[in-house]
Amino acid sequence: MKYDVVVVGGRIGGSVSSLFASRDDVDVLMIEKRQEIGTPVQCAEGTTLSTFKILDMKPSRRFINSYIEGATVYAPDGRALDLEEVTGRNFLDGAGYEGYILDRKVFDKHLAIQAAKAGTDIMMKTTVKDLIRKEGKVCGVVAKHLGKIMEIKADVVIAADGVESNMTRLAGLTSPNQPRDIGSCAQLELVGLDIDPYRLNFYFGRKIAPGGYLWMFPKGEDTVNVGLGVRSNKKTAYQYLNQFISRFDDVTPVELNIGGVPLSGPIDRTYSDGFLVVGDAAGQVDPVTGGGIHTTAFCAKVAGQVAAEAAKKEDTSADVLKKYDDIWRERFGKNLEISLKYRNAADKLTDKDMNALAEFLEKNKMENLSKISAIKFLGKHPNLLKLIKDFL
Amino acid sequence: MIKYQRDNCGYCGACVAVCPQQILELTENEVTKGIGCDECGNCTIVCPMGAFTREDEP
Repeated sequence: MKYDVVVVGGRIGGSVSSLFASRDDVDVLMIEKRQEIGTPVQCAEGTTLSTFKILDMKPSRRFINSYIEGATVYAPDGRALDLEEVTGRNFLDGAGYEGYILDRKVFDKHLAIQAAKAGTDIMMKTTVKDLIRKEGKVCGVVAKHLGKIMEIKADVVIAADGVESNMTRLAGLTSPNQPRDIGSCAQLELVGLDIDPYRLNFYFGRKIAPGGYLWMFPKGEDTVNVGLGVRSNKKTAYQYLNQFISRFDDVTPVELNIGGVPLSGPIDRTYSDGFLVVGDAAGQVDPVTGGGIHTTAFCAKVAGQVAAEAAKKEDTSADVLKKYDDIWRERFGKNLEISLKYRNAADKLTDKDMNALAEFLEKNKMENLSKISAIKFLGKHPNLLKLIKDFL
Repeated sequence: MIKYQRDNCGYCGACVAVCPQQILELTENEVTKGIGCDECGNCTIVCPMGAFTREDEP
């Protein structure tokens, strides 16, 4: 078997890479290890309009569960702050609602269907065991389907194989993560939780979600995704989640999702000879929020286009594929770098610091924040002062 | 030793990402553990479901 581009992984990164490569008229094969695309869900399912803009796609009721108008953040002491009041910014933008809760099972499958319609071949229930190399250049994969091993040649291999990526290690682009760089996440989709269906809720605090936060994302009128990400060796994410949920009476789960989110920012190099990496495998995830849908959508689109262009020109060397790395870093590199700095600084904050910050922000809206009040406040809170200093 | 309980596993792959020996592999509905575990315990920290636990030797 021989393809111009082989994409390993069939979620957002894989399908979007495949879609845009296929649109540029090259032969594409996408390989998915599971027998179904989009399951199990490993995502809180929140995204913004930018995802659809990147994909040149209209937000459709088919794969959108709900529209989001605002967000409330709860400090460890329970103080609630509406983000739009604190920042003076509305979540609505000119073109419509900016926040969406996706139905990832439907969305992922929709993207795979678009890729297939554009010409991508898809193999299900197929794992990739190794890379084929010739004189150091990646030129295909060794795959296994129903016990049968097969060699699939390719001009470019795109690794979109997630946080558990073995492709990037085989290509020598990554080494294993430290536990502190992985957000350990658990989520229950709950029926019977009475919250504003147009508002996100975030909870912070060492007792609720140490090293991370808890989210409640309403999926329309009926259900809410309640999940959290933690970095802790005291209890499991699932235990922290159940501990939080025990405060509600009469809620019933209809789905359990779990996952690991890479929070250490992008890997140093997302290309080599005949090889590109996208999505969670490349660490294209915001280290503070753990969100990666729109970054992955953008990076995967560029990866598909650059791979197709290189394959057509019959030069898929690292020098040519570097263009992908350049383009996505130009768009997101700086943001992810700053976000990682924020995460590292925020890791040092105590619950007391966060409570004080919330109290301060409640009293002083950002738009009319005076320098004197800020300096006075920071003088009393050395950890927060350190956090601010890192950015000056 | 580090014990893997498949009954608790949610097949998310977080453990695979932190294994320094790179001996864990996620298939559709199981994590397989190859030989060479150095018992660092990384998998026990990141597993959201507690499928990896450290058990004392008998």
